[in-house]
Amino acid sequence: MSSRKLEPFTVVSVIGVSLAVLACAIPFWMIISGSFTSETKLATTGYSFFPDFDVTAYTMIFTGSAVLNAYLASVFITFVGTALSLAVTSGLSWVIARRVPGISRPLTIFSYLPMLFSGGLVPLYLLVTQYLHLQNSYFSVILPLLVMPFLVFVQVSAFRQLPESIFESAKIDGAGELRIFFTIALPLSKPILAVVGLFYAVHYWNDWFMALLFIDDVHKFPLPLVLQNLISNISFTAMLPQLAEAATPVYQLRLALTTVAIGPILLAYPFAQRYFVKGITLGATKG
Amino acid sequence: MVGLLALPAVVFFLVFNYLPMAGLVVAFKEFDVNQGIFGSPWNGLENFAYFLESGDAARILFNTLFLNVLFLGATLAAGIILAIMLNEIRSTFFKRVSQSVVFFPYFVSPVVISIILQVLLAGASGGGGAVNDALTGFGLPSVDWYTEPGPWPWILTVVKIWQLGGYLSVIFLAAIMGIPEEVYEAGMIDGASRAQMAWRITLPLLKPTAAVLLVLGVGRIFYGDFGTIYAIIGDNGTLFDNTDVIDTYVFRALRQLGDFGTTAAIGLFQSVVGFILVVIAVLIQRKYSKETSIL
Repeated sequence: MSSRKLEPFTVVSVIGVSLAVLACAIPFWMIISGSFTSETKLATTGYSFFPDFDVTAYTMIFTGSAVLNAYLASVFITFVGTALSLAVTSGLSWVIARRVPGISRPLTIFSYLPMLFSGGLVPLYLLVTQYLHLQNSYFSVILPLLVMPFLVFVQVSAFRQLPESIFESAKIDGAGELRIFFTIALPLSKPILAVVGLFYAVHYWNDWFMALLFIDDVHKFPLPLVLQNLISNISFTAMLPQLAEAATPVYQLRLALTTVAIGPILLAYPFAQRYFVKGITLGATKG
Repeated sequence: MVGLLALPAVVFFLVFNYLPMAGLVVAFKEFDVNQGIFGSPWNGLENFAYFLESGDAARILFNTLFLNVLFLGATLAAGIILAIMLNEIRSTFFKRVSQSVVFFPYFVSPVVISIILQVLLAGASGGGGAVNDALTGFGLPSVDWYTEPGPWPWILTVVKIWQLGGYLSVIFLAAIMGIPEEVYEAGMIDGASRAQMAWRITLPLLKPTAAVLLVLGVGRIFYGDFGTIYAIIGDNGTLFDNTDVIDTYVFRALRQLGDFGTTAAIGLFQSVVGFILVVIAVLIQRKYSKETSIL
């Protein structure tokens, strides 16, 4: 493969990939650049490629408590949610992966069936609001998203790749199943726990649907919901341009909030990216 | 004993998945909050009749199927093309960086995508935005996208390609990596060009992976992509004709009308047809390739 000459198809591919890269990167640049552009400039174009380092929106965001609260809400949902999800998912995956007679097989079907048939929105809504009374609690966002079957796939196949001989010898040394799980299997699975944890974290960080359904106290909105609210108001102002000229830099604020929302993902991404690739490769080929 | 580790997950599935299935009886009831799901009086198939007679049924069913078929075909094609092109790149650094960049949109919230789209299509006023500025630059008339329902199926398709193309290319690239090197060496000895090898070796060998993803996608075809569509369209009624799918319709009916019976009826209809499609899809896939079966 190394000594091949440059062919037209390769050139086309390089151009194609470069265009795809630009198409994926430029919108983010427009958002970030726009968030540092003054409202007067934004109010005429709505976007900008060259920032003029105007930080009005960020000053508003970081001096007021509203966005900070939303940020903390998202952080809470992400951390508590990811921790709970990881615990529940790895417990389940381990039992499935061990192929315990009479337990693992029914458990597999029991866990994957909800992927095929769901009660839908209405029963879930009634369950959370009328029976569990979780409105305006962050657990109304966390609990419905607790287990993602795809990540159970990933983790089961990762557990099954651990060498059986270790567990055999641990058993001979008198270790019980629980002990094997906590002191051998989990520590050996740190890389896959990172993969699964990252997927859950992104999921919780980005969620706004559960929040939209179950959280109506404005002071408890997580970040994506604050953003979503701003969109609806902005599309409104888009129809009435004079509103955009009010004292609040609505456009800049919207872009700054978007930047703040994607910030953590963008910062963690270069380090986490290979785990994501590993995760979907494992899930796709071994699932 | 070891089964205890699965207990929290079992409780989760019972409460959040199996219990709501039982709650679907509300589809056959005249729901009253004070009387609860099981106390409310039965009203037979009235909820279903109401939905079918509302005149919305045909439109949202069509939109759901049409948009999902469009999304599925377009994203799979984009993923395959991108993977084949990425595979052509020799510089490991460029390849790794490009893959990371095209994969990134998968990780952003639909809300963020919606904002990006507004920046591109609306800007500061209805006829503004980067796309309109480009159109004007080429001497073309600008379009007030958010009041124009016609192009939205295609706009949403582009959004889906942007969102999922990179993600799917990672899956397909992994499949390409699994193709034995000898196949390409044989092709080279026979004097095949890179393009011929991509067309006659790589593409056919990606078929099984594509088939798995296609079948899974077909199984989900009855479920609209609520997150992305609702985040982008929201309550913009002018666009509903072309963008309203089952999920967004149900959600709006639930929030605005508080009509639990009818929405549950639509939900039940969706679940049943969706379930039948998934089962058919899984059976076809099992037959097609046993080792990559999902169940």
